Amino acid sequence: MNLDKIMTNLEEIVGKDFASNKAEDLYIYSQDPGASEPRPVNFVVMPKNVEEVQKIVKLANAEKIPLVPMGGGLTLSGLVIPVKGGIVIDMKRMNNIIEINKFSKYALIETGVTTGQLLSHLNENYPNLQPPVPDAPPSATVAGNVLIHGSGYLSQKYGDHGAMINGLEVVLPNGDICKLGSASLSPFWFARGPIPDLIGLFISSFGTMGIITKLSIQLFDKSKFREVVFGLLNDPKDIPNILLKITETGLAEDVLLGMQDKPDWMKGYIFVIVYVTGESEEEIDSHIKTFKRVYRKANARYMKTPDRVRNIYLEKPIFAATAADYRKGGGFEYVGANMPLEKIPEAYKKGAEISKKYGIVPTLGSRLIGGTHNIVMFFSYSFNRADPKDMENARNALHETNKLALELGGIPWKAELTGQQLILEKMDPNYKKLFNSIRNSLDPNRIMNPGNWEVNQ
Amino acid sequence: MGGESIITISEKQDWRDIVHRCFRCGYCKFTHEYSDFNCPSYKKFRFETYSTGGRLWLIYGIISGEIQWSENLANVIYACPTCGNCIENCRFEKFNDFLIDIIEVARAEAVKNGFCPERQKALLERTENTEYYNPYGEKNSDNTELKKKFDLPDKAEWVYYIGCTSNYRQQNLRDATLRFLKKAKIDFTLIDEHCCCSPIIRTGQIKPVNDFINYNVAQIKNVGATKIITSCAGCYRTIKKDWLKFGADYDFEVFHTVELVKQLLDEDQLKIKSEYKNTVTYHDPCHLGRHMGMYEIPREVYKKIPGIKLAEMRRNRENAWCCGAGGGVKIGYPEWSVEISQERLEEAKETGASVISSVCPFCRTNLSDANEKYNMEVEVIDLIEILDKLDIEINK
Repeated sequence: MNLDKIMTNLEEIVGKDFASNKAEDLYIYSQDPGASEPRPVNFVVMPKNVEEVQKIVKLANAEKIPLVPMGGGLTLSGLVIPVKGGIVIDMKRMNNIIEINKFSKYALIETGVTTGQLLSHLNENYPNLQPPVPDAPPSATVAGNVLIHGSGYLSQKYGDHGAMINGLEVVLPNGDICKLGSASLSPFWFARGPIPDLIGLFISSFGTMGIITKLSIQLFDKSKFREVVFGLLNDPKDIPNILLKITETGLAEDVLLGMQDKPDWMKGYIFVIVYVTGESEEEIDSHIKTFKRVYRKANARYMKTPDRVRNIYLEKPIFAATAADYRKGGGFEYVGANMPLEKIPEAYKKGAEISKKYGIVPTLGSRLIGGTHNIVMFFSYSFNRADPKDMENARNALHETNKLALELGGIPWKAELTGQQLILEKMDPNYKKLFNSIRNSLDPNRIMNPGNWEVNQ
Repeated sequence: MGGESIITISEKQDWRDIVHRCFRCGYCKFTHEYSDFNCPSYKKFRFETYSTGGRLWLIYGIISGEIQWSENLANVIYACPTCGNCIENCRFEKFNDFLIDIIEVARAEAVKNGFCPERQKALLERTENTEYYNPYGEKNSDNTELKKKFDLPDKAEWVYYIGCTSNYRQQNLRDATLRFLKKAKIDFTLIDEHCCCSPIIRTGQIKPVNDFINYNVAQIKNVGATKIITSCAGCYRTIKKDWLKFGADYDFEVFHTVELVKQLLDEDQLKIKSEYKNTVTYHDPCHLGRHMGMYEIPREVYKKIPGIKLAEMRRNRENAWCCGAGGGVKIGYPEWSVEISQERLEEAKETGASVISSVCPFCRTNLSDANEKYNMEVEVIDLIEILDKLDIEINK
């Protein structure tokens, strides 16, 4: 492998300004805001269009050098830090919003479009439509979120954000461009089927199957009014019951749970946060009354929300990254694990125990996805970025939490390398075999984000 | 980094304990409502390295010894107009206030380690030159001729601190200010001023700063002034904020001209009797807006000018797009600097305005340069120059 030649070729493809092997760029792209240790990078490139992406993929195949596609770089679990060196393709220059279809309600966008950009574009030009928004900062890309089974606003009502993909344009590992979903046969990117659904291959496969260059994401009607209704629970064992009762009403747009030991006034409670929407203030008031009744009947009590707290939760996106500043250390990472509802009480109890074991203030939360079909649990660990031992401590806590999630029948979400291996250890061997054979068929040179989802042969 | 680090000692603040608090979440890149990238450096260069988060991580890498100073690294640290958009949008309270300080201290560290870029070095060389005392390399004007021309006393209540850009590049703005102060019957004079040090502070070349501050403060005290007024947003920020940070011992009040105009209008001491029949859009100078929090006073003045129609640009106040001149970018990256101004002029034209006006000679210079280079056909003019064209009456 001739690195100088590769650099020259990359510059020819994207221009000198957007290809780099400078030490300072490689330093930044060798790490992410989570607890993963840095891993070396050889090149960073920023293509502007699908043709440039194709050329980069063909070059990588010819040189057998790894390729790692990157969106906002905010998974926190090191998914876009190369495992085996190579080229990071930062997609954020491909940031055109190509079409907003107000009839079929979708946005056709390039993969570098950020969630903030799409949200702002809709607020300004299509105020009655809203996109799914993750709890990540606005610099997260829409593609980055949906391609990891992301969740966030609208997840309780409409499911995980990956399920909201109507179609993809993908540069396959051999350089072919492939359209998936209705766009494969229609000018409208309005639906995923009814044809064999291959889109799932590209979700949570962490860039191992190809590089997404365009996607169509569903948009949703936006109500005139939106409010949060807070409730307080004392005992985690009451969580399944209250969530069933909340979802039975059919009135909740989103549902969050939170439990943390700091500040002191929060200790000992599980906060239940239900988002309601309506076309009038009267409708909102009616919904609030409904949930006050629901809370009463489910061993919880309604909590009048101070404006400061209310505004935090009504902001889109919510500022979840505040956890990075809990210890003034600039770092946090969490195990997000998709869990069955009946295991949530145990997850809270044991999650708090893990936090305490590692000397970290327990900070746990949950978000409903598609009713109670699926709950994402968050076990969050803040750390001090300037203290390598503290980062290692967080990594150990994360690893133990991944094990806990799997023991409880859950599945770690966007798992880091060690978490992926825990998942693979438990996975049906034929699932792994099928996955690996598809991967080998698409990417015989194994250039696409190698090291991730590595199935031992 | 070896030896005593400026990062840890010069600002009486242990930077090692705060730099790593940056999570690199990226809020710093945007406007408040995420409508656009509002960090000129990130918008131009696009690698994460060039966001404020990227810079802070690099600075942490230098502190921790994970990376070493190099010409390329210094270039990243310097490719930032220090416009303050990151301060406005960083969500980490009691940390966001320090972002520009951290970048400036890192630049001081680059200088100390011999990595100040060549073009920016000229700012210090010219400023220190005893023939100049200004970053433009112009022969120092001790302002004696101006004092004579405008019949100014040796002792006065106010000092008009002209600033290097007004004195050597925007003399119409300077003279308009002088005429306004005379018309307003302000008891003022001029001093033999040396550079306020904004350009060298912004570029980390801080060695002579205390000497310059002491000299200027002594000059001001010598004329018995208790008030300083300037038409330059950069001087205003520097005198009011940086001089104190560098330990200056002064108790005079510091005003921007626009504050005096506003006060005179409010007290009915100033009446504008003729009309300025133009649609004008106001450009917030970063050094007055985000750095000093002054957004409404200039707008209130414009609105009181008869005949004027004030139109707001899409990005205004805390969200304003920088003109691109500050932080050593004008001298270090001259082409990129005017590209930034070009974007501002395009935004100005979107409003339907034929005039873009500001209250900073540095903004005026860069916007004018872009106007000329890209044939934008917008009139660029300072507020004080607009007032200079009008018939005003002072009732004192």
